[in-house]
This record gives sequence, structure tokens and C-alpha cells, in this order.
Amino acid sequence: MESLIVSGISKSFGSQKILANVSFQVQPGEFLSILGPSGCGKTTLLRILIGLLPADSGSITLDGADITQQPPDKRSMGIVFQNYALFENMTVLRNVEYAMRLRAELKAGARQRAMQLLAQVGLSEHAKKYPAQLSGGQMQRVAIARTLALRPAIILLDEPMSALDVATRLALRAELKRIQQHSGATMIYITHDQEEAFAMSDRIMVMGAGGKIHQLAAPAEILRTPADDYVRAFVLDNLQIKIDSLLKYAVK
Amino acid sequence: MRLRRNDNTLNITALLLGSFFLVAVILPLLRMFAACLRADVGKIFINPVVRVGIANSVCVALCATGLAVALAMLLAWCIQRTNVSGKGMFQILLMLPMLVPSISHGMGLVILFGANGRLTNLLGLSGGIYGFWGIVLGSVMYAFPVAYLMLADVLQYEDYTPYEAAAVLGLPKRNIFCAITLPYLRKPLINVTFATFTMIITDYGVPLMVGGRYKTLPVIMYEEVIGRLDFEQGSVFALLLLLPALAAFLIDMLCRTYAGINFASRSFCIKQSVFRDSLAMGILAVVSAAVVYPLLSFVQLSVASRYPKDMSFTLRNIISTIDKGALSYLANSVMIALAVGAIGMTAAFLCAYLTVRLPFRGARFLHLMAIISLAVPGIVLGLAYVMFFKGSFIYGTMAVLVLVNIIHFFSSPYLMMYNSLGKLNPNLEAVGATLGISRLRMIKDVILPQVSGTLLEMFAYFFVNSMMTISAVAFLANARTKPVSLMINQFEAQTLLEAAAFVSLLILIVNLAMKCVIYLLKKLLQIGNGRNSYE
Repeated sequence: MESLIVSGISKSFGSQKILANVSFQVQPGEFLSILGPSGCGKTTLLRILIGLLPADSGSITLDGADITQQPPDKRSMGIVFQNYALFENMTVLRNVEYAMRLRAELKAGARQRAMQLLAQVGLSEHAKKYPAQLSGGQMQRVAIARTLALRPAIILLDEPMSALDVATRLALRAELKRIQQHSGATMIYITHDQEEAFAMSDRIMVMGAGGKIHQLAAPAEILRTPADDYVRAFVLDNLQIKIDSLLKYAVK
Repeated sequence: MRLRRNDNTLNITALLLGSFFLVAVILPLLRMFAACLRADVGKIFINPVVRVGIANSVCVALCATGLAVALAMLLAWCIQRTNVSGKGMFQILLMLPMLVPSISHGMGLVILFGANGRLTNLLGLSGGIYGFWGIVLGSVMYAFPVAYLMLADVLQYEDYTPYEAAAVLGLPKRNIFCAITLPYLRKPLINVTFATFTMIITDYGVPLMVGGRYKTLPVIMYEEVIGRLDFEQGSVFALLLLLPALAAFLIDMLCRTYAGINFASRSFCIKQSVFRDSLAMGILAVVSAAVVYPLLSFVQLSVASRYPKDMSFTLRNIISTIDKGALSYLANSVMIALAVGAIGMTAAFLCAYLTVRLPFRGARFLHLMAIISLAVPGIVLGLAYVMFFKGSFIYGTMAVLVLVNIIHFFSSPYLMMYNSLGKLNPNLEAVGATLGISRLRMIKDVILPQVSGTLLEMFAYFFVNSMMTISAVAFLANARTKPVSLMINQFEAQTLLEAAAFVSLLILIVNLAMKCVIYLLKKLLQIGNGRNSYE
């Protein structure tokens, strides 16, 4: 299992500073949520981690090896996007096995592994369907299965449940945790939903404007001892509002 | 490393496309502008023929544009806002004029309303159609299908929600029209009006055929360049013709930005009305008949012994036209159109892929180059090519005709693909990169299958327009490379109307056949893929 070390990552677009000297570490098999408001640089950080965007400065190390300059497919990472990004012209099965078929070492067992992964995400009976014939939750499961196909050490999830309804989100949360435990992959999960982060994570990294990390700790610790006023306002107050609303209706 | 090699391939492609546009668009236009500087502009504008020509062009274009846009709006309303039956058939019939050259519309009028025309004799008319009203009528026939297509598209995607809100609020119909319909249509209507005006004022096919002594600017320009080989004076006229096209181009850009943020959330709900549907049926039937009748007259003329006096069947006209080389010129046209279709489709796809899906510095420049041909009328482009390529190895060959057609018709297919690629998921390439799928393989296995329908439409657009263009190729073709569309003008000048009608018919048949083939291929693709496509 491999640990990820991010050191001093900075990124600007023109004169706008998006990330300033961001550093953190992720433990093997950990579920880390990056929690922050829209526009704080969460997605930029994710794209730098996987190599879709170059950082201006800083380094990324995976299991002791510097991968800062490596292309995305050499980083042992996979990514799941909010809008699924499935190959619409391919069946569900083909979506999952496609990348494996292009690799000599995986080609032989591609079909079998794809079927296993579809069974794992509960989509065996949908293998011959096209993405357009699936629901949002099912499409996201296909995207997860496709990412798992190449056995990445780290899976990055960019707000994967934002486009889903509440019931589907709740079901997918449990499933995602189960998949993580089954695959043993490290997961870095981006969200602006406090409740989601607290329900799923081993640790939460609270980000603010300019990519500033306000606190990186276990959910319980953040609840007990918020690092500063920003964490208190963005995380705890928002959670409190939700709890108050629920209590109000419960009393009624 | 594989990823970098692919990106390099795409960078080289971008560079090649940039160089292509430089040589095929920028340098020829600059050469023409340079010739303008040498021309005695003062003398040209003192010439009463030129001044009258400009005034004629503006008068004809204003009148024909008003009529064409009004007719197009009426037809778009009939198709999109009524429950009239047979919409599919009417839509096909209304598109037929787009499959023949503008000169054929003029010829259709001559056949029916000329000094010895069928309808002239039947209705006891005198004087013939030649002159102002002839050009106006022919131009309306030539331009209204394009205006109709644009307006029908706008009406099809109009959001019904504001109308529902107005109904809930109990607003009177007049207020609904002023508050919802008019503001929605205002910018598209301005856009359509300018595009139609440009189409008409820069066309010389119709005025050449039915203008008689009523000369418009493109006809004078044609005579200057072809007759007197006065390229400098021709380039001044070309610059004048560029002005409305440039205005239409800028307005189109502004309206596109506006249209981009308007997306339909609910399709239009058409209520039942027998009176309205009957009225629409009447309008569509009359216009369709007016569209089809001149085309049918080509058939009649081709096989009539002595039109219009002796209508007995004969193949003599057809055989005689073939003897004059019609089939070999048709082969020229088909070869040019196929080459333009294949090369144009490939170049437009690559260009759109680079500008939509590959963030790089030159994307904006490439996009501008790809759409700039919207602002350059065919006759202007043809003249610029003569001046720039004369003396080069490409001049006088089929290649220069292929090149001028690709550039002339590049914008619309490019924009078709630009829109299709823009609708694809923006993260596809990112997923491919993380899964180790090369960009080129992504294009082959994921992108191309999803835009295959658009590719076919692009090919058809290039092919059909190359088959019937006259303006872009008139100055560039020679006896060996001449496309068949230029034969219409030649036969008409020799008063061989039967031969000209048969050539128009040939072009119509080939274009219809191509449309059918593309339709069948699209159906096959849909069956083969068994999926929802993005087109």
C-alpha cells in the first residue's frame, strides 16, 4: 500500500492565485474528504494530483517515488467525475473493459474482470445496456467500475454525487465505502457537502479561499475542536442549521 | 510518453491547419486588398453604370430580403406552430430549391414567365419577367429556404414555459406576443435578415439570368473580370460586396452569443385549431407548388420537342446536351464535389476538434479562420484566388477549384461539428488520459462514433454546395476543369434553354441522390449503434 505526500503545491491562472503552498499527506487505504466551498481550488488540486494540470511549484510523491512530472496514466490513480464521462457509444461492459483491452498484460482476463466489477457495483444485469439507458446512480457505478478496472492505488472522486437525488446519494455512499473496503484503494473525495464528508471520511481536509488548508483531522476532532472561525462557520454552523431544521420538524 | 507524442501530432495538425488558412484565406484576400489600393477608386465611382449598379443591388436586395424573410417566417410558423399534416413532405419540398444553383431559379422564371414563357402565354401577360421584379422573385426563391431553415430552428427550440406563465397570469394575447414572442425573435430575425440580404446582394446567378438591362453590382463585377479582365476594378467591387457580408458576420457572432444562453426547457405545446391548420395547409400547398413547378418545368423543357409550342416527347434535347459534353462536365463536378466533401469534412472535423476539445493558444485564431468564410462571398473569394494563385502550379487545375470550394463552404460544416463536439462530455479526454488511452485512439473509438451523423451531414453539405456553386468557380475554371453548373450560364447565353434546363435537372438529381444516400447511411448508423446520438 502506498502513501501520498503532497508538498508545497501552488497554482495560479493568470494573476489569480488558486492554490498557495498546499501540503498534506494521505495514508494508504484512507478515505480523505476535501471539503470546501465552490471556487476554493478543490477541483484544481484534484486535477494536479492526477496529472491533468501541471502545478506551478511543489511536488507529489507516491510510495516514495516522485510522480510530479509523470503523465496521468503512470500515476496509479483513477478519477470519477461528477458528470460520469462515460463512453456513450459503448455498452456498460465495454466501458469497463475498454482500457484493459488496450493493455497487453490485462487483455486476456479483461472480460472476466469487467463482469466481476459490474457484479461488485450491482450492475451485472445491465452489462449490455448503453449509458443513456441507465439512471444517474447506475451511470456513476459504471464510472466507478471503470476506474477500478486498472486497479489504481488511489481513486479521486470529484463531487461524484452532486447530480444525484437524495435517496440515490445515500445508497451510493454506503456502496462507495463497501467498494473501498473491498478494493483496499485509497480514496480522495471532493465535496462541498458537510454532511457527506462527515458520513464517509476517515479524515476531512477543510479548504478555504486560495486553497488554504484550515484543518485536516478526523471528523470527531473537527467537531470537538474546530481549528479556527472559518471551520466553525463553514462546517459546524452549516451542520447545526441542518440539525436545527430537522429538530424543528421533529418537534412539530 | 505516448500521450506527449499524440499531443505533438495534434500540435502539428493545428500548425498545418493554421498554415492552410493563411495560404487559402488570408493571403488571397490581402492580395485582393492590395489591388484595390492601385485602382482608381474615384473614377470607378464616377461611372454612372457603377452607381446605378450599386443602387439597383441595394433596391433589389432590400425588397427581396423583406419578401424572403416574411415568407420564411410564415412557413416556419406553419411548420412549427400548427398541427398541419404532411409536415415531413412539405419540409422536403421547401428544401428543394437549395439543391439547384441560383442561376437555375432565374432560368425557371424565364421558362415560365419569359417573353415566350408557359405562364406568360397562358395568363396573357406581356413584357416578360426581366428586370427588377424578375431578380426579386428569383432571389426570393433562391434565399427563402435558407431563411426558413434558420427561423424554423429558432421556433423549434423556443421555450414554452413563459407562455404557460403568461396563461396562468391571464395576460392578453397581444401582450404575450409583445412581451414574449417578439423579444425572443428579435435577434434571430435581425441575424436572418442580414444573412439573407448578404446572400441576395452578392448573388449574380439570378440577375445574370433575369436581370436583362437591370444590372446589379455582382453582374457588373463579373463582366469586368471575365469580359475586360480588369481585376483592379473587380477588386473594388469585391470590397464593396464584402461590406454587407462582414456586417452579417458580426451580427451573426453577436446573435450566436445571445442564442447560446437560451436553451429550451419545455417544448412548445400546439393547441387544436382546424381553421389555423387549414390556413397553414393552404399556404404550404401554394408555396410548395410554386417551388416545385419551376423544377418540373426543367423536366418538361428537357423532353419537349419545341417548348412551349410543341410539347411532344423527345430525347433530342438530352442527347444534344450530352453531345455538347454535359456528362464530362458533370463528371468534373462530381469529382470536385467528392474531393471537397472528403477533404473539407476531414479538415472541418480536425479544426473543430482542436478548437473545442484541445485547449491551446492558437484555438481562437483557428476558430476565427474557420468561420471567416461566412464573411466572404463566393464571387469575392473567386476573384481573390485568381489574383493570388495565377501563375502558380495549382492555377488552372481541379485542385484550385477544390480548394476554393472547401474555403467557401467551410464555416457551416465546421460549426455543425463545433456544436456536436461541444455537446460531448468535457471530461472524456481526461478519463482517457488517466486510463492510458491515447488521444488518437479516443478520437477513433469514442469521439468519431458519437459524431458520425454530423460527419455525414458535413460531407453532404460540402458535396451539394460544390455541385451547384457558380460564384466561387466562375473565374477559376477553364475548358478542361469546368464544372457542370457553369454550363447553365453558357447554354443560356447561346439561347439553348433546353440544354440549360437539362443541366439544372442533372445537378438536382445528383444532389437528391446524395441526400438520399446520406439519409440511408445515417439510418444504418443508428441501427448499427443502437444508441442515442448527440447529433
